[in-house]
Amino acid sequence: MASINLQGDTSGSISISAPSVAGSNTLTLPATTQTLATQNALGVRNLIINGDMNIAQRGTSTASITTGGYYTVDRWRLDYSTAGTWTMSRDTDVPTGQGFATSMKWDCTTANASLSAGSAMIINQRIEGQNLQHLKKGTSNAESVTLSFWVKSNKTGTYIAEINDNDNTRQISKSYTIVSADTWEKKTLTFAGDTTGTLGNDNDTSLLLNLWLVAGTDLTSGTLNTSWASVTASNRAVGQVNLADNTANYINITGVQLEVGDTATPFEHRPYDMELQRCFRYFEKRTNYIETTAPTGINAYSQWIFKTRMRANPTITNTGGTGTVSNISVDGATSYANAYSNFFDTATASAEL
Amino acid sequence: MIYTYKKVLDLDGNVDVNIIYRNEDGAYIPADKANTDYQEYLAWIAEGNTPEEAE
Repeated sequence: MASINLQGDTSGSISISAPSVAGSNTLTLPATTQTLATQNALGVRNLIINGDMNIAQRGTSTASITTGGYYTVDRWRLDYSTAGTWTMSRDTDVPTGQGFATSMKWDCTTANASLSAGSAMIINQRIEGQNLQHLKKGTSNAESVTLSFWVKSNKTGTYIAEINDNDNTRQISKSYTIVSADTWEKKTLTFAGDTTGTLGNDNDTSLLLNLWLVAGTDLTSGTLNTSWASVTASNRAVGQVNLADNTANYINITGVQLEVGDTATPFEHRPYDMELQRCFRYFEKRTNYIETTAPTGINAYSQWIFKTRMRANPTITNTGGTGTVSNISVDGATSYANAYSNFFDTATASAEL
Repeated sequence: MIYTYKKVLDLDGNVDVNIIYRNEDGAYIPADKANTDYQEYLAWIAEGNTPEEAE
């Protein structure tokens, strides 16, 4: 077998070997300056679901938001305290030439220029521990992770991205700068591996990716914690601008990727059906009822079989149908009512983190 | 939003111990500790609150 060996300046080496079989193989390097990833090029490398903001089962716009929760684009949650009023939407404003069709937009409709000490507005995604075991967190081989995303806002200045370890109450923050108003910019941040605190191999929240938009003095009065440490609130979001200070303010975000290693690879554009299926694990909305009949005085039953096994037994909200919901499992739920009924119309099943 | 809760009857007319009903949005919440709505309900109980009896 013929091979080429490139020796590193101080240590390490890379070997490229040709197989001892008939035929030829071609390895084509990028014509422009790019990174040829190794481990991360294999498989599903983006830890973030719906990073391109294309899935929006709950709808494409929600106004008058003043509480935390899930709105519009799937998997993206708002954590909120006293930070103005907002409209969240799935927007078609995207960076040119990157292959994105949608972004997540937050538009301030009532300002809060005088924040409370505990004010906070954080866009986050919560990740199950069983999807994070390859980070080897809490071991001497802990992996670094790299966050990359596109962002656009009229409000320039310092913003904070944070990774929060929910299992061990630890966190690490990095700041980035929006340099030019109303201009798409790509940001890349690498977070060191954490040799302390293993993550549960289960279906609960282990890590949160937090993108801060607003932070009161309780969260900004210390020194920004740029290395893994136990959570000290005042060190989490030091320097964060107040995006809520004017009703002209907005922010668009898309192309969010969090991956193992210290290199940001190109955004992993996964097929729509694959991404939708992943979203169904946490939330499913049905917009057609199940019609069932039974003689008067006899219960009619209907069964909703979920499109995929959900993360946990989900909460069922049956907004358009009738009947009492029972037997909720990760695979489905039953509804029953006397005689004829339309079940599960515009119903939702939520097993969000 | 501050939620309140109500017990649910099963088909036999007994309280369904596996489900709790959330009044404000009509949500049926399973008694699964991995469900974040149920975690919220347990926290509400821990504060000394009591769900309404089933009808």
